[in-house]
Amino acid sequence: MRKSKSTNLRYISKKRRVIEDERFVCGTGKFVQDIQLSDTKHIAIVQSPYAKANIISINSKPASELDGVHAVLTGAELANHTDPIRFGLNLPNVTWYPLAVNMVRYVGEWVAVVVADNPYLAEDAAELVEVNYEALDPIIDPEEAYTDSKRLVHPEHGSNILYEGHFCWGPVEEDFAKSDFSLSFRVRWGRSSTVPIETFGVVAEWDEGREMLEIWASIQMPNFVELLASAMRIPLNSVRLHQDVDVGGSYGVKRGIKHAIIVSYLARKLRNPIRLIEDRLINMSSGDAHGPDRIFDTNIAFNKDGKVNSLKIRALDDAGAYPGRGPFQLAKPISAIVGPYKINSVEYDAISVTTNKTGQVPVRGFGQSPTNYMLETAIDRVARHLNQRRLDIRIKNLIKNDEFPYLIPSGSSYDSGDYLGVLQKTLDRADYENLMKRRKNARIDGRLAGIGLATCLEPGGGNNIFEYLMNPSAEITTFTEGCEIKVDPDGLITGVMGTTSSGQGHETLVATIIGEELEFDPALIRVVHADSLNAPVTRSPVASRMAIMLGSAAAGAAQKIKAKALAIAAENLGRPIEKLEYAEGTVFDQINTSHNISWSEICFIAHKAYHKLPHGMEPGMRAHNVFQVPGGGQLPDTDQRVQIYPCFSFQVHIPYVEIDQHTGKVSILNYFVGHDCGTQINPDIVRGMVIGGLAHGVGAALYEKFQYLPDGQFLNATFADYLMPSAYEIPMVTDIEHCTPSPLTSHGQKGSGEGGYLGAPAAISSAVNDALAPRGLSICELPMRSSIIEGLLNNGSTSQ
Amino acid sequence: MKSAPFDYVLAKSIYEATRYLAEGEGEAAVLAGGQTLMPMLSMRMARPSVLVDINGITDLSGIEENNTAIEIKACTRQTELLNSPIVKYHLPLLAQALTFVGHSQTRNRGTIGGSLAHADPASEIPLVALALDAEICLSHVESSRQIPATEFFLGPMMTVCEPTELLVSVHFPLTKKESRVGTGFHEMSERHGDFALVAAAAKIELDNKGSCIDAAIALGGVDGTPVRVTALEKKLRSNGISDNTLESAMELAIPEILEDLNPVSDQHATADYRKRIAAILALRAINDAITEAKGNIA
Repeated sequence: MRKSKSTNLRYISKKRRVIEDERFVCGTGKFVQDIQLSDTKHIAIVQSPYAKANIISINSKPASELDGVHAVLTGAELANHTDPIRFGLNLPNVTWYPLAVNMVRYVGEWVAVVVADNPYLAEDAAELVEVNYEALDPIIDPEEAYTDSKRLVHPEHGSNILYEGHFCWGPVEEDFAKSDFSLSFRVRWGRSSTVPIETFGVVAEWDEGREMLEIWASIQMPNFVELLASAMRIPLNSVRLHQDVDVGGSYGVKRGIKHAIIVSYLARKLRNPIRLIEDRLINMSSGDAHGPDRIFDTNIAFNKDGKVNSLKIRALDDAGAYPGRGPFQLAKPISAIVGPYKINSVEYDAISVTTNKTGQVPVRGFGQSPTNYMLETAIDRVARHLNQRRLDIRIKNLIKNDEFPYLIPSGSSYDSGDYLGVLQKTLDRADYENLMKRRKNARIDGRLAGIGLATCLEPGGGNNIFEYLMNPSAEITTFTEGCEIKVDPDGLITGVMGTTSSGQGHETLVATIIGEELEFDPALIRVVHADSLNAPVTRSPVASRMAIMLGSAAAGAAQKIKAKALAIAAENLGRPIEKLEYAEGTVFDQINTSHNISWSEICFIAHKAYHKLPHGMEPGMRAHNVFQVPGGGQLPDTDQRVQIYPCFSFQVHIPYVEIDQHTGKVSILNYFVGHDCGTQINPDIVRGMVIGGLAHGVGAALYEKFQYLPDGQFLNATFADYLMPSAYEIPMVTDIEHCTPSPLTSHGQKGSGEGGYLGAPAAISSAVNDALAPRGLSICELPMRSSIIEGLLNNGSTSQ
Repeated sequence: MKSAPFDYVLAKSIYEATRYLAEGEGEAAVLAGGQTLMPMLSMRMARPSVLVDINGITDLSGIEENNTAIEIKACTRQTELLNSPIVKYHLPLLAQALTFVGHSQTRNRGTIGGSLAHADPASEIPLVALALDAEICLSHVESSRQIPATEFFLGPMMTVCEPTELLVSVHFPLTKKESRVGTGFHEMSERHGDFALVAAAAKIELDNKGSCIDAAIALGGVDGTPVRVTALEKKLRSNGISDNTLESAMELAIPEILEDLNPVSDQHATADYRKRIAAILALRAINDAITEAKGNIA
């Protein structure tokens, strides 16, 4: 692979309009809600009011008798005709169906659904479904769930532990023994979400003649079709997932597998198209919304000069009632378990427990943001312990430029980076000395002021081997992505991708890269999302992977097209390929440039002039290319060391905050973020990702948390109660760009969708703790609500 | 989140609206800006049999000034109030408070009457009405009555307004031009535009020497209704105010503020937190009001 030389680039890294923007800004996107099939029926959901209860009986008669109601579906019926939802962990005695069977396990769990002519009627009928429950004692606290052997969420499973793994990479005990100091602390990451503007939606139709399921869904999820076909007990190629719908935001949470099974079953049973569009109450209470909910107990060993030697980490994660893909969020952090620091050894205990709360789903960063919050807290604590500057501890421990590729204890080789360079650039732009002066003056005036400092690594483009780490029966070693290019007889180019997009700008990505390779204006290149039966190989747009994987696949496909064009030209110009030159589609004789063949002639020949094709060449002009995840591709070694992600982006976050000492309210007055994701394919997209991710992180740091009472009642399913920040709460952000190309991708690109979110919570926590430091206080949980901070300041307690 | 069935009528006059309300036999609901009612309908927390839409009644919109009061018609949008020179000049406390009411999008629809009638104990407009001794005019199909704000609010989302009555206007008494008046409004909420955890409003009048001759202090979010902090008002009036005594007067006042407050604990904050910040916000509002009033002394 070659490195980019941006001076030679025509389209990549240039500030160019994002293809998708116009239709989103003008309201001409096409979403699931816009799919209108005739005679579609609608669904309303009956939800559990209990955190844990046995279902004694369900009387659906009054509901089904209502005019315009077509069916009432209960868990018992659905379980009779479908198989349980598959999930990645190997837990044979944990069964998950879309509708509760015999027992409900969280407030809001779906117990039955009503199908009616319209959504209003469906809700009227849902109120008439009578469910008799026998309430049971739920388990809500994850530490209690870990030890309790009586209050079990899944009694057949025999415990509340879904996963418990012990990893030890390097001489941890030795490193602790020879370190000057060690300190331990606990931090807690609150259960929050990504809050897409569009809730999940799905429409399904059973094609009786073809015996096929046609389905439109606002997903961002690997294995969706496999899981759906398996639950429906139909062959994989009997499902056609239409992926040409726009998805109105996701960052991990657009799963919808239970929704899809319900509508698919009903569409087949009733021979009607069925639609389920979540409302916000369903989405937040019982859809796919809740992210990691994690307690870290960390022990860090270091020398008096600030050199960090070793870490012992225990992560206890509350997965809620059903495992899904949530628990794997404990495994991604293994790929960057030491962050950007040179730390010789790590012990990692990862525990996932089930509780009577809504099931956890992937959220941006897949567990990396909580882990980074813990790691950066550890570095800050070392500085505080040694009474040294946080900046100096980081400078001392950051991996240096000449040390790449850098192998970390858990087996990842970091591809490239210039951590100290990004740090310095960000410090310069933030005018760090001046920020410190400002903090000093504020403190002299009696105000609480703090500067935050955090770095973060963003692993991108993974091979999914973390699944094997947590479930050795899953021998998965790759997570590929393909791209197809079709050039029509007129010479016009279409790029085909195999999955949905949820706002990441993949059409711009693919068009830009194809345009770069084939030297055509990307604005003239169409990019389409094929349905699942026509799609190139895909594993979905997760894990900060599409620039790396789809981008490199598109480049490879374009190179195949170019090679074919050159071969056709060579045949028709009567010159060997190595004597020819390609420029903007035209192929020239290097010596006699007037001896050439145009792009349209080449394309005409490829499609229609078989007699002019080189002997044996397949007619047509199309290429499919699958990009294998660079590096890795191997199962872990005996010490569970493994390369999971190929590319590592880097960010530095520096916020400046002040706290109202009487109300506890935090104001972020300035925010500087330096970022390096290698070559930027489209700078506006990267900037949007960085700042949007940062805003998401502000929510996790200060505001957002799904809250439960001790009896399992769920408190906040509306935006009045779930405090998602608005534009008022997000500071102006100064972003500072840096480019260290990856040697592993087509143009040096890395992932950029997660870094803002990975760094902001850590950085804002760092700033708040810096502001509290003169009072000898610290806060070690997110979100850091005003009332918690005020409690610390004025009461010395953390009670809200 | 789809509402239960209801009938809908568009009223063309106040009389017609009150007639519909009377016919609704207590099951009718008034639709003004809909910024609270529509979500409540969608969540089926409100289930009126009939929705009486008053948005088409021209007599219910507008701001009028006479010798003794500013009259604001019930269906006047919050945005219109915020942009009104009359409000800005005569009712600066209301103008200040309105910037905390939701967001510009909700203020474009939300009305002053709707906010008063809804009577959320943490909302800003009821708080200001109480602080400014407003009177609220209610119309019944056969009669009408005018209720002082002090008597209007009964509890969370509860007022003296009967289901058959329509809130038609609110009257804010005019302050004598010659007095030196200052106002202050402070609010704490996690996010801009949320219902307040606690809000505080203050209006202070000073004489030529800078002594306090009148004070109105009100708090929202600390009880089932907005409350006047009369003990503190008395203290301000009796002590007079000077730069030297202000700080100590405030410190002395804190226990008195806290004593009578009765906030709730919920997922957003404990009662204790609300009590503590109520004191702080009240003092900040008073401080602002005094500073402004002093500035108004020639």
